[in-house]
Amino acid sequence: MINFGFAINKPRAIDIDRNNLRKSNEIISEMPELQACIGCGSCTASCTAGNLTEFNFRKVHTLVRRGEYQGAYEEMNKCMLCGKCRLVCPRGINTRGIVMLIKRKLGDF
Amino acid sequence: MTFFAKFCIPFIVGVVVLFAVIAIKYLSWLRNLPKKDWKLIFSNIISWRTVAAAWEVVCESLLHRRIFKVNPRLGYMHMSLAFGWFLLIAVGWIETVAYMGFKWVPLQGHVFFKYFVPLNGITEHKPLFDFVMDLLLLFVLSGVGLAWFKRLRSRALGMKKTTKHVLFDRIALSALWFIFPLRLVAESITAAIYGGGSFLTGGIGILLSKSIGVEALSYTYEPAWWLYSTALGVFFIAMPFSRYMHIFTEIPLIFLRHYQLRPESKEKSYDNFELEACSRCGICIDPCQLQSQLGINDVQSVYFLRDRRYNMLQQKIANNCLMCGRCEQVCPVGINLNTLRLNSRSSMRNIPNEGRYNYLRNVDTSSGEGKVGYFAGCMTLLTPNTLRSMRQIFEAAHEQVWWADKEGGACCGRPLMLSGEVDSARKMIEHNKSLFVKHQIKTLVTSCPICLKVFREEYKLEGIEVLHHSEYILRLIQKGRLKINYQRGATFTYHDPCELGRGSGIYDEPRAVIKAVGELLEPAHNRKEAFCCGSSVANTAINDAQQLTIAGKVATELSETRAKTIVTACPLCKKAITRGTETQVVDLSEIVAQNLKQ
Repeated sequence: MINFGFAINKPRAIDIDRNNLRKSNEIISEMPELQACIGCGSCTASCTAGNLTEFNFRKVHTLVRRGEYQGAYEEMNKCMLCGKCRLVCPRGINTRGIVMLIKRKLGDF
Repeated sequence: MTFFAKFCIPFIVGVVVLFAVIAIKYLSWLRNLPKKDWKLIFSNIISWRTVAAAWEVVCESLLHRRIFKVNPRLGYMHMSLAFGWFLLIAVGWIETVAYMGFKWVPLQGHVFFKYFVPLNGITEHKPLFDFVMDLLLLFVLSGVGLAWFKRLRSRALGMKKTTKHVLFDRIALSALWFIFPLRLVAESITAAIYGGGSFLTGGIGILLSKSIGVEALSYTYEPAWWLYSTALGVFFIAMPFSRYMHIFTEIPLIFLRHYQLRPESKEKSYDNFELEACSRCGICIDPCQLQSQLGINDVQSVYFLRDRRYNMLQQKIANNCLMCGRCEQVCPVGINLNTLRLNSRSSMRNIPNEGRYNYLRNVDTSSGEGKVGYFAGCMTLLTPNTLRSMRQIFEAAHEQVWWADKEGGACCGRPLMLSGEVDSARKMIEHNKSLFVKHQIKTLVTSCPICLKVFREEYKLEGIEVLHHSEYILRLIQKGRLKINYQRGATFTYHDPCELGRGSGIYDEPRAVIKAVGELLEPAHNRKEAFCCGSSVANTAINDAQQLTIAGKVATELSETRAKTIVTACPLCKKAITRGTETQVVDLSEIVAQNLKQ
């Protein structure tokens, strides 16, 4: 197969009815602005940590909103909180606040 | 003479409680000081520092010199209460000594001397003492009057907002407000009955005896002294639990500070001295842009310190601060407000995690080699004009440069530190430091003041000089390695970034560079009083609209200078201010690169 430098994810279904959305709802009710995300990926494109690792902020916060929490805290721990994503976000979302909130809700503090 | 009457009991109880609580507090704080701090105390205690500290205690705790500098009317109010009361106690003591000789007199004997020895003509000095004591009482009462007036109309004393208080403060405040008027009443009644007193107490005494009569007054004599003693007692009991703890705590704080003790990025026992030395005067409220420009009223340093002191600090309060340092600049007690907030965040959020940022191993994307290393910083990577300009400047100066993060490096660690994750930030610090050492640079230049501050304060880069690009460019110009065309008619205004100005004390270098290019017009708030752009990485609580509001206000003030171009020296400030104005906003390096002589 030709190597394009990227691949397509294996198909999988997320059943929102089955997922426990309690944490997700808490996160959204504390920072409703996250719902304004249009998924453009500017945050991920500019990300300092994303430049060095596979960390993908857009992916993680989208999964968290859908109740897929597994591994999200560990992923978020890769973030350096440098704040570039907040500067480039076309929707003006307080991304650093979101990172800290997700970690607080899913992690240990 | 026994020097005891029943009405003294509230006063005596108050004094005993006061000094017991203070002793318990200070001893436990001192006992918990880390060894390092104790070493500092021992090595500095027998030196001129102790003398300097004692002098500062007189200037600050009694005369309140720093409040005078910020606001003379407020300074007078605080000085009249503190210095006036101190003199009343001191002169009162001298009066007892003049009458009794150097004999032991219980404390209440000094304080209620007029009660125990009311009669005139006992010593030939009595009229003089009466006059001095009346004068001092008037001095203190003028301060109390101003304090009453300030509660009604804070603007009259030059404060837009004054502090909102907790219950203990209100009790102590009310008691304090009544102490001196009640003293005036008690001494006036005494003077009415027994004679004596000078222009104030004596004068009121004569009025009272004429209008009411000595017979009727004698019924109010004891109650008046009871009230005065009770007001004192209530104040003394409430004092160590209220803001008035600052009266005593400022003194050890000044000494410890002279012995070079400082708060650090993690909480320690010394912080207690700073916390309780806060008088909640509220001078920090007005400079806060979150208050003046966004109307947020519960996060200012005075409330932060109060909440932390009473163990009711919430994350949302601790996090909602730009850490611009404008409050620290005016604090009359000189409390390290930013560091205290930072170590509160650290206590709330710091989760040491050994495995964190292990991915930083073996990531070195740096290029080139040279004695000079250039660390653009994350934010500068988002302002390509600054990067391009820096490259032109390096080329024009024929500098061999090692680009530390051209293809994206790790963050400097300061943003993580500012949000409290101090231990994790160490990982980045070690990573970047190892790169600097490996490439054997002698000078490290950065365009980002946020990085600059952490490089200077936390990296401990021995043998490597850390420069902000404004300092570096100025040095190149002064050495003649850069030739610049002066643009006649070009006007610039300069925005002081918080981390560069108040944070690192760099005010003159960027201005000197601008003056080499064109005319510099100063905005209304500059240097130490400069505004924050609102986008500070220290704040994770305010939203985009609020950041924009601050940026708009700051940009408006800069535009009012009518300069054609707004210059700043921080990529984050540049991004923020650009959003708030139509005027062109550029980085310092851009105006230099555009006007290089070929």
